[in-house]
Amino acid sequence: MFAGGSAVGVLFTPAPWRLITDTALWSENWPGIPAPPRGEIRARFTNCSLCTAGCAVRARCVGDQPVELAGVAGHPLSRGVLCPFGIVGHHLPFLPARLQSGPVPQAAAAVADGIAKCGPAEFVATLDLRPGRTASWTYRRAMKAIPNGRYLAPSAYTQAAVDLSKARTVLSFGVPVLDGWGTPGNVIAARAGFRLIQVEAVESRTASMADRWLRVRPGSGDALAQALAGRIPHSAAADATGLTIPEIDALANELEQSGPVLVLGSSQLASTGGTVVARRDTPVPDEWNQSAPVTELASLPDRSIRVLLIDESMPGGYLSWNTIAHKLVADNPVVVTFASSREGYARHANYALPVAVYPEVAADIPTAIDSVAAAFRISAPLVAPPPGTVSPEAFVAAAARLAIGDTLRERADAIHKSARGTLFTPADGKSQAVKNVTADDFWKALNAGGCWIDQPAAKATAARLTFAALAQQPVEEAELPLAIVLARELAPGLPLLSKVYQESNLRLAPGRVALHPACGLEDGSRAVFETLLGKCAAGVTLDPGIPPGIVLVSASPALLDLSGDGARAKVVRA
Amino acid sequence: MTSANKPVRAARYGMTIDVDRCNGCGACMVACAVENNVPPAHEGATDRKGLTWIRVYKVDNGAEYPDRRTAFVPVMCQHCGNETPCVHVCPQQAVDIDPATGVVGEMPQRCLGCRYCMAACPYHARYFNWWDPAWPAGMEKSLNPGVSSRMRGVVEKCNFCHGRWHAAKEAAAAAGKPATEPVDYTPACVEACPAGAIHFGDLNDPASVVAKEAAETASFRLLEKLNTQPKIYYRSRKDWVRQIAAAPRPGAEKEKYRG
Amino acid sequence: MKRSIPFLAGLAVALGAGWLAFPRVLYRSSPQPVNFSHKIHADKAGAKCEDCHAFRDDGTFAGLPTLDKCAGCHAAPMGTTAAEKSFIDDFVTPNREPRWASYARQPENVSFSHAAHVKRAKLACAACHGNTGAGNAPRPYQIDRISGYSRDIWKTPGMAHGMKMADCVDCHRRQGLEHSCLDCHK
Repeated sequence: MFAGGSAVGVLFTPAPWRLITDTALWSENWPGIPAPPRGEIRARFTNCSLCTAGCAVRARCVGDQPVELAGVAGHPLSRGVLCPFGIVGHHLPFLPARLQSGPVPQAAAAVADGIAKCGPAEFVATLDLRPGRTASWTYRRAMKAIPNGRYLAPSAYTQAAVDLSKARTVLSFGVPVLDGWGTPGNVIAARAGFRLIQVEAVESRTASMADRWLRVRPGSGDALAQALAGRIPHSAAADATGLTIPEIDALANELEQSGPVLVLGSSQLASTGGTVVARRDTPVPDEWNQSAPVTELASLPDRSIRVLLIDESMPGGYLSWNTIAHKLVADNPVVVTFASSREGYARHANYALPVAVYPEVAADIPTAIDSVAAAFRISAPLVAPPPGTVSPEAFVAAAARLAIGDTLRERADAIHKSARGTLFTPADGKSQAVKNVTADDFWKALNAGGCWIDQPAAKATAARLTFAALAQQPVEEAELPLAIVLARELAPGLPLLSKVYQESNLRLAPGRVALHPACGLEDGSRAVFETLLGKCAAGVTLDPGIPPGIVLVSASPALLDLSGDGARAKVVRA
Repeated sequence: MTSANKPVRAARYGMTIDVDRCNGCGACMVACAVENNVPPAHEGATDRKGLTWIRVYKVDNGAEYPDRRTAFVPVMCQHCGNETPCVHVCPQQAVDIDPATGVVGEMPQRCLGCRYCMAACPYHARYFNWWDPAWPAGMEKSLNPGVSSRMRGVVEKCNFCHGRWHAAKEAAAAAGKPATEPVDYTPACVEACPAGAIHFGDLNDPASVVAKEAAETASFRLLEKLNTQPKIYYRSRKDWVRQIAAAPRPGAEKEKYRG
Repeated sequence: MKRSIPFLAGLAVALGAGWLAFPRVLYRSSPQPVNFSHKIHADKAGAKCEDCHAFRDDGTFAGLPTLDKCAGCHAAPMGTTAAEKSFIDDFVTPNREPRWASYARQPENVSFSHAAHVKRAKLACAACHGNTGAGNAPRPYQIDRISGYSRDIWKTPGMAHGMKMADCVDCHRRQGLEHSCLDCHK
């Protein structure tokens, strides 16, 4: 009875009703679901440093933290475009494989020691995987200051630039013209003006969007190029590539009739009619001209590098380790790498030192290949880097006992002094002549996402392809039945790229290989990828669009260490 | 919801997508994930179990080289206008059609996870949270405050960037514009597309780009014969792409549509 | 009569427990970081609501002011109260943001636009927040131990209505502005 009374009474109190509502509200506070931070929404401008396109970025920030990135409409170079990597670039600081700490003082001591011990035929070298930056000039000055210093950079067409607006036909040997080459916004704007012929072993995104795709055997592009240049007969090229002689005849004819022609290869350019131009360099302070020249790694003798400092802090550049390893001295070389990830040279170097990444650090971006005039833009820091990171530029300068100031400011001042070119400011979308701006305002504008563009004084050069002897196909075909085709994705590891890698089959993630289903492996399985240089694990994706006998390798540093375009491989169950 | 509402000039937000311009880069997919706080893939996620509110499918004409042709088709929620399948089947009323905008709005907070809507959707445009969302350490700082996160066990899908719509409505209110006017805003995929292949706007406004493009004869919609009246219009000069659009699912192998 | 005594006793106990003891147990008092007086600021500083609780240029509402707003005047003591002194010592000098507890805090999935309600519908601040401006000290913040929200989401004496969805829907229904879930949810 008492219980009955209290049961009735309780119903007339707020208690049960409030408990029901509160329990419902409690169930919505699911632990582990983060609430986004709140604060004032601001727009801040910077430039993306993930690749040399250096596209302008409008960052929507909550407080100071970038939350969403977009392009800057009306920008003279990037035309408001950001590629899928640029759109998630602000997540680079959160890469799970990020290098957080490293033995900085020990590395400095070992480098000093190595420099002191350097023999007469030995070198101290800095390998700069993104040449053309202001930091690259510091490396060159530092290497000049050290008696046996050498500045190394991957070979690339540094001085030449491409004028897409002049091309009527573009012949590309596997270059991803429509998928991340040059400045995407500029390529898209110029696209309607040229006919694109893509020569490639598999149907890449560029091949599928090209006006014509010529499917050739892996590694045979060189033979076709030589035939088109008249150095070997069309029949020989037909044998090597698998194309028919009439197809090659028709192509040669088209190139003759539909000029100006631009020819793009992975490491070379050729042109007719002014599509390749010699571009003036971005000005530098006069004192910097006393610096080491660019040396090619291949030109150094084997076993000659005693101290090697590798700057792999910027995404995109990676030379396979075996091209480097045999240049190092046999007894205790010192290899220091400046990296944001444990997956690159950190696997091989003695010391792996952590660096700040985009958008934590101020860095200038070299001019893109498809910009007719030189451009100077700074990727401005939007957030603070974690403690423990080191500046590769400062480290190398200190090792060479080279006193440096604020090199970016000095470069900006030199550009301003030259009184050439225009300054574009993204906040108002306006361009003005540099000579109408003070040096201080120029510096401020560059740090707020501005962009300096030189006056085009471009002189057309008739670049011609130079040919080495045609590479021999490696012999052991039965043992290594697959021909390698390399695909490079720009910035691996960005978490949201899982949308296009794992959660759809739009792109092939780095570290994965794609094969025709006839290979006998299972889709999504782990396999062993083996070449003459060794073996490593790789994930398998089946794709009926890949011809049998070919393995499409989405390059990660581990896979790049073992492979090259046209080399041979075998992929077996793990 | 109730018929006693004040009249508003009803908009019908829709999109036109130029399939010939899409190069399959995937910028729209990642931009959508950034805007809507869609988490990165869990370890076990595949293309069947992923969360891709917009997904670009690669389709081809079935021929072999050299006659093979490829195209890329972005597919997100089609915001069906007629007898919207998911709205019909949801036992929770966790999805509704907004009469003022035509947007089919998903409410993950009401969803109980039965996935009936996923079975009903003919475009496979609805995605289930098989796992709790997890972001790499520190990345929660970069989440968008305009959109709330979802827990595991609920369905989510494209809402035409309702976070951006709210911001546009707020700005319009602050600027003194009347509530009866539909607001102008740009969803994330539209803004991100490098080729400018996607256009967004009010299909009811005859002056808008989308209304004009939707009326072109080259425009078609996916699975038109189902009469769901979707608001996404695709355009392509390639006949084989139109034929695939009538097929059961872009990317499906060799399925002939009967009827 | 005798037989109904246990029933009535149970009734009385339940009513007492439910109305008096239950709120004490359910809610935990959580004091605001500063003993802020709206009245003093309104009277002495001549401040109106929008001086500190302002709209930004893009139409969003700044909500509770951040430290720089207060420090703009209170870099040095302006009065003689202990509350102000401890505010300066605890927050202004070490440049630490006070963690105010918001009575009207809504769940993460709610999108509320002050611009639409204040600028378009011309609602007065007091219509939803009560006569906060007249208070000499902040209302006691009672946090619900189960749900984590303030007791103020329920309509309390002095408030025009509560802060729960049903309260919002009531008014919207009366105004004829009930279209779709995503109007208010994000």
